[in-house]
This record gives sequence, structure tokens and C-alpha cells, in this order.
Amino acid sequence: MQSKLSDIDLINQTLDGNQSAYADLVKRHQRFIFTLALRFSKNREDAEEIAQDCFVKAYRALNTFQRQSKFSTWLYRVVYTTAMTHLRKKRLVTDSIDDGDNYIRIADQYGTMDDNIAETKSRSYYLNLAVGQLLPDDAVIITLFYNGEQSIEEIAAALGMETGTVKVKLFRARQRLKEQLERLLKHEVKELI
Amino acid sequence: MNSIEEKLWSYIDGTCSAEEREQITRLIDRDAKYKSMYAGLMQLNAEFNSLELDEPPMAFTYNIMEQIRKQEASTPLKAEINKYIIRAISIFFIGSILLLLGFALGDVNWNTGHGGIHLPQLLKLSGSAKLFIGFWIKGSLLFDIILGLFLLDAQLRKRTDTNNGMFKKI
Repeated sequence: MQSKLSDIDLINQTLDGNQSAYADLVKRHQRFIFTLALRFSKNREDAEEIAQDCFVKAYRALNTFQRQSKFSTWLYRVVYTTAMTHLRKKRLVTDSIDDGDNYIRIADQYGTMDDNIAETKSRSYYLNLAVGQLLPDDAVIITLFYNGEQSIEEIAAALGMETGTVKVKLFRARQRLKEQLERLLKHEVKELI
Repeated sequence: MNSIEEKLWSYIDGTCSAEEREQITRLIDRDAKYKSMYAGLMQLNAEFNSLELDEPPMAFTYNIMEQIRKQEASTPLKAEINKYIIRAISIFFIGSILLLLGFALGDVNWNTGHGGIHLPQLLKLSGSAKLFIGFWIKGSLLFDIILGLFLLDAQLRKRTDTNNGMFKKI
């Protein structure tokens, strides 16, 4: 059972030497961080490695957390840096939002599951599949906004951008997600016919 | 803002101004195109809100805590060295320099009567000061200097690692 203490309380306890408090923090944020890592890497094994590395680095740098933002926002910065380092090492090119043509799409977790999925698939399944097939930048901004419960301002702070830029990026990401979802659903309808 | 869709997303997110909000509300009420597009985007927004987070493997937390424990186990010695030994060496060096300086200045004749000071050609050390010119003392000092330089190097490397830019202050 996870602690009901706030993130700041758990951070203070961790800094006082209580490692189990940090374990509680990890449990609280692991799904969010793992999902973000997956959005960057498109591969569960790499995502696990990136997310673990992120939490270890965050532990070592916990005393540098300024407490002016949410802990999850700060963690996002760590996971972003860790993922970029990891992907650079693996020589995977993750191009920016406006360079979609050069993006190397890697078979993601959902793609490999296709054979095992029952014929009738829910719309939410396709939605998750569509997010998994987006460019990392798009998938990350969607995850931060909808799963990370981050406001536009918080996302802007985490990404080091202006709020206006984040709004535009979020708008484009939603459009691409909508198109991707429509494409997948259309394909599914064709298969059923 | 450019398109109707962009305006409506801004309206749904609550990021538009009060004036824009009022204007868009009116358009949704009166314009069928706005109304249907708004309904579609609201449905899509509800679906996006239901996006699920992925579940990491079972041993995820355990693996992280194990990595941390392993790293922690190797750090206490470093911490001890940083905290106490470096301070002790610093105090020793500073003390030695001050002591030698004191002996040297003590041998200077400040009242020569010619309007200047008279520096001795050879430094005459008192009995206790002779301790500092023995072979073993010289060797020990050399060893301390080398050790001090190693520790200084380790400290500077550690500081460089910490400053390597990945944990920007948010």
C-alpha cells in the first residue's frame, strides 16, 4: 500500500536517509515515468532501462530539486535526458516534431501484440495503439497533458518552451493522434468487412 | 489563433481569454458547424483523458532500490575521506606554512639603524624547528602533498560530474 504522504514529505524523508520513502516515491510515479520512457524508446526493454536509470539518477540528485515545480515535472526532465542519452547510445534517431518523414518507426509493444488480440478490439485499445505510433515528441506531450495531469504552463516549464509554443505543439499532436486513430479504425473496419 | 478547431481546443482547455471564451460560447450556441465540431472534440477529449498508463514489470521498484543500495554501499568511505581527511590535511598544510613563516620572520632583524631591514643570509632555526628538516619529515610532507593533490583531483572531478548540466533547476 502506498504512502499518503505528499511527494515533498517523501523527498524530505529520503534526504534524511529513509530509503523506503524513496521506494514509495518510485511506486507513485513509476507508471508515468515508464510510459514516458516507452513513448521515447517505443520498446519495453529500453523503456525499463531508461525508467530505472531515471529513478537512480533522480535519487542521486534529489537534493538539487528546488521544490518550485511538481516532482513529476522535475522527473520528466530527468527521464528526457536519460532517454536521449540512451537513444544516442543505441544510435536511434528521434527527430523533432516537424520532421516526421525521417522518423524511423520501430515496431512497438502494441504492434507485436496484434496476433494475440481478440477480433473485437475496444476503441481505447486503438487509442493507446495510435499514441504508441506517434512521433516521440507528439506522444510525450499528449502523455504529459492527459496522463501526467500537467497544465500547459507546467509542460512549458518542463520542456523549456513558451506556453504559446506548447499550445501549438499540443494542438498538432492532437490532430496527428486523431488522424492516426481514424486510420487505424478505418483499417479495422476494412478487415472486418 | 487560426482554425476553428484550434479555437475550440483552446476553449476546451480553458486557455483562452474571457473575451474569446464568451465569443466562442456564442458561436457554439448559434453556429451549427461550431456546435458539431465542439461536440466531436469534446468526445475526443474524453477519450484522450481515458488514455492508460503502461505498467512496468513487477520487480521494477525492487531493481531500482537494489541499484541505489549498491551505489550507497560504495559511497560512505568517499564521504569520510571528503569530510575529515581533506580538512585535516588542509589544517596541517596551513599550520605548517604559518609555523615556517613565523620562524623565518622571527629571524629577520627589523631594526638595522640604516633605515631598512636586515635579512639573514642563512635561516637560523631554533631546536624545535629543526624537526622540519629531517629526511622522514620531508618524505612525509611529500607524501602528504601527493595525497592532497589526488584528493583535490577527486573533488574537482566530482564537482564537474555534478555540474554536467542534466539536472537543471526547475
